[in-house]
Amino acid sequence: MASRVSARQRWRQLPAALALLAPSIVILGAFVVYPLVRAVVLGRQRCGVTGQSCRTVGWGQYGDVFVSQEFQNALWVTVRFALITVPLGLVLGVALAVLAHKPLSGIAVFRTIFSSTVATSVAVASLMWLFLLQPDVGVLANVGWLNELIPTLKRPGLLRDPATALWSVALSSVWAGLGFTFILVTAGLQGIPEDLHEAAAIDGATGSRRFWKITLPLLGPTLLFVVIVLTTRAFQAYGEVDLLTDGGPQPGDTTTTLTYLTYGRDSLIAGDDGLRSTSAVLLFLVLLALSMIQLRLIGRRVHYGSD
Amino acid sequence: MNRRRLTPVALLAAASIAVAACSSGDSIIEQAGDDEPTTPAPATTVAEGSSGSTAAPASSVAGDEPVATAPATNATTTTTPLAALPDCPVDALDGATAPVEITFWHGLNVDNQTAIEQVTANYNASQDRVIVDPQNQGGYLETIDKFFQSGDTDRPAVVMLPEYTVQQAIDSATMIPVEACTSAAGYDLSTFQPATIAAYSAAGVDWGMPFNVSNPVLYYNKNMFVEAGLDPDKPPQSLEELRAYSQQLVDSGAAAYGIAIDSGADSGGGWFLEQWFANAGELYADNGNGRLAPATEVLYDGVSGVELLTYVQDLVNDGLAFYVGDNAGGADQLLKLADENEPAAMAISTSAGLGTVLNTLAGGLVPGLGPEDVGVGALPGPAGVPTALVGGAALYIADGKTDVEAAAAWDFISYLVSPETQSLFATLTGYVPVRSDALTVEPALSVYEDDPRFRVAYDQLAASPDSPALQGPILGPQREIRAVTARAVAEIFSGGDVQTALSNAAQVANDLLAAYNASN
Repeated sequence: MASRVSARQRWRQLPAALALLAPSIVILGAFVVYPLVRAVVLGRQRCGVTGQSCRTVGWGQYGDVFVSQEFQNALWVTVRFALITVPLGLVLGVALAVLAHKPLSGIAVFRTIFSSTVATSVAVASLMWLFLLQPDVGVLANVGWLNELIPTLKRPGLLRDPATALWSVALSSVWAGLGFTFILVTAGLQGIPEDLHEAAAIDGATGSRRFWKITLPLLGPTLLFVVIVLTTRAFQAYGEVDLLTDGGPQPGDTTTTLTYLTYGRDSLIAGDDGLRSTSAVLLFLVLLALSMIQLRLIGRRVHYGSD
Repeated sequence: MNRRRLTPVALLAAASIAVAACSSGDSIIEQAGDDEPTTPAPATTVAEGSSGSTAAPASSVAGDEPVATAPATNATTTTTPLAALPDCPVDALDGATAPVEITFWHGLNVDNQTAIEQVTANYNASQDRVIVDPQNQGGYLETIDKFFQSGDTDRPAVVMLPEYTVQQAIDSATMIPVEACTSAAGYDLSTFQPATIAAYSAAGVDWGMPFNVSNPVLYYNKNMFVEAGLDPDKPPQSLEELRAYSQQLVDSGAAAYGIAIDSGADSGGGWFLEQWFANAGELYADNGNGRLAPATEVLYDGVSGVELLTYVQDLVNDGLAFYVGDNAGGADQLLKLADENEPAAMAISTSAGLGTVLNTLAGGLVPGLGPEDVGVGALPGPAGVPTALVGGAALYIADGKTDVEAAAAWDFISYLVSPETQSLFATLTGYVPVRSDALTVEPALSVYEDDPRFRVAYDQLAASPDSPALQGPILGPQREIRAVTARAVAEIFSGGDVQTALSNAAQVANDLLAAYNASN
């Protein structure tokens, strides 16, 4: 193990190493590195609607797009979307997992129910919410008392009112992502040694005290992972917006997230592959920066165990 | 160590996000259009040549302006004559020794997909020289993107592209104009509805063969008309009648609203607007709606556009129309007719949806509204007479294929637009036939007689006079311009200032046109 390998030996091993790496290099190169480089190059250009006859504008296009009204609006919408979905998804996921982490008979039924949204695609979940929230023939809009409680449900409809549209899309996203968080946190809970809880209980710690002092700190690595995944998901959410609002209600691109601005059918830049690439690369940079911040700020507070 | 290296990056990112949040930039499209003037493009010349005629777009009468524009515009553009465009080797099939296999891309789904596959199978069975493989690309948008981004060898021999793609099809230089085939084959177009041919032609050349044609019609609840004391067989035709009918429907308590309207790009926010301009005999864009030369500016922010949208906005403000939003669901305005508590009595939607509407109602999903209770009327418009622009899609023949493939493509297309196929396809789908003799053969003959509602879209197209305004606009970035316009219409229906909204939208639309013309 610890023996030093001479430079010559290393060179001799190179062909073997390359041969072993070749599949990864080819696949990553063709499907990750090349498209990424191509997207960065394309992001300097503006293209005709046919995707041909692109002309180069220059690196300045990245800056111009970044400060443009549309991109900033989309960035702000995305940040708000993440600020709703991440904490809500996290709290609900942890709450459900803790509830279901009880040695009761029949608890498996609840675990199955709580995790069932994992088996639901975003498209199915979104369509379900679309049918629930549709203001004319939708299920919720025509329930009398609910209607009186929330008049927006009927007029103009939660998804059509600029004040509620983003929240509604976010809630459907939280619902769809809940099963995933639930399963991760449940797995995390099962990794916490039971004797810690027993010892604390013997010392007289109450249930809530044990939750805050034992469960939560030991869940740290899991929660960090969940937060990063949920944030990334929020920044990449597309299906919900596409199916529920098409980036509207208009005017104001109320739910046009960065992904919808980049890929959306009704996006203003839908016909320009250059601008779409610019937007996609900027989204990548934003996400990269965000993940780093999260790792840095939350990462050092997380307890990874005894070492 | 690792963490220390991350710090500057993280701080930089945080700072840039903060900057983005507080600075306010220009439009994403204007940004990119900044270096426009430096690019010499034929389009710029056109803009100068025609700017005089576009100064007063609003009050012109159909026919006058374009005629006046024509000579000047033609003088300044490089219009390509048919002879200089790719040939159509219509006789090449005779030399083929084995059956020719070609691919056909379309964007029709569900019932319409079944129909197109059925008529293609009929074609394959009807002869032994050509075998066509129909491939659904998922939708119009997917077909457009995939076709234009493919190389010559990957393209299908025949492709179906929607009506807002004409300019792109021309500029992509990937097509054999269908007129090359019709003239080489001596194909008789005399029974075709002239509007359908005109819709797919530019600068005097027919590019696509119209195949599945639809246009917007008025759907209404006959029961409510009766309850309000209106004649259920006489739907409103002018906007004034639309208002009067709505008033009566609301006053009598027959309906909560007269009409449900939306601001979707392919419905109330874009397509209907183009239809209304055509109905009024107004040009939607300069250079004869982009038919004489590529358009350089839209004209909907003029007096007539403002008048039109103010009229509709008043309907909303006065509680006569219900604004259903961006139509993200695609049929939101129709669903308002099925509202249990606060229904509207009328809605405008594409005629292509008629079959689906009737099937849905036949399933008994809406209590008190059966298929026989739905009336279909011509699109009410400013002129008060029925007219329509051609919607739907056309068939194009890809250039760069072998002669036998091109000939096979033409043979297939001529089968698809034959009276028999058009008659069958129309009754299978709800699209209207492109030619009048399709109505004289079964099954359309009896279907149209039994249920005149299927005829409305056909009739209003047939009634449209032959004029540049009624050819409709062709714009390079038409899809994006519709999206921009739809945002303005949404603002207007939500109570915004009409002139401001339209002017702002027109400015962005013109930027889009300039950017498009600069790179094509």
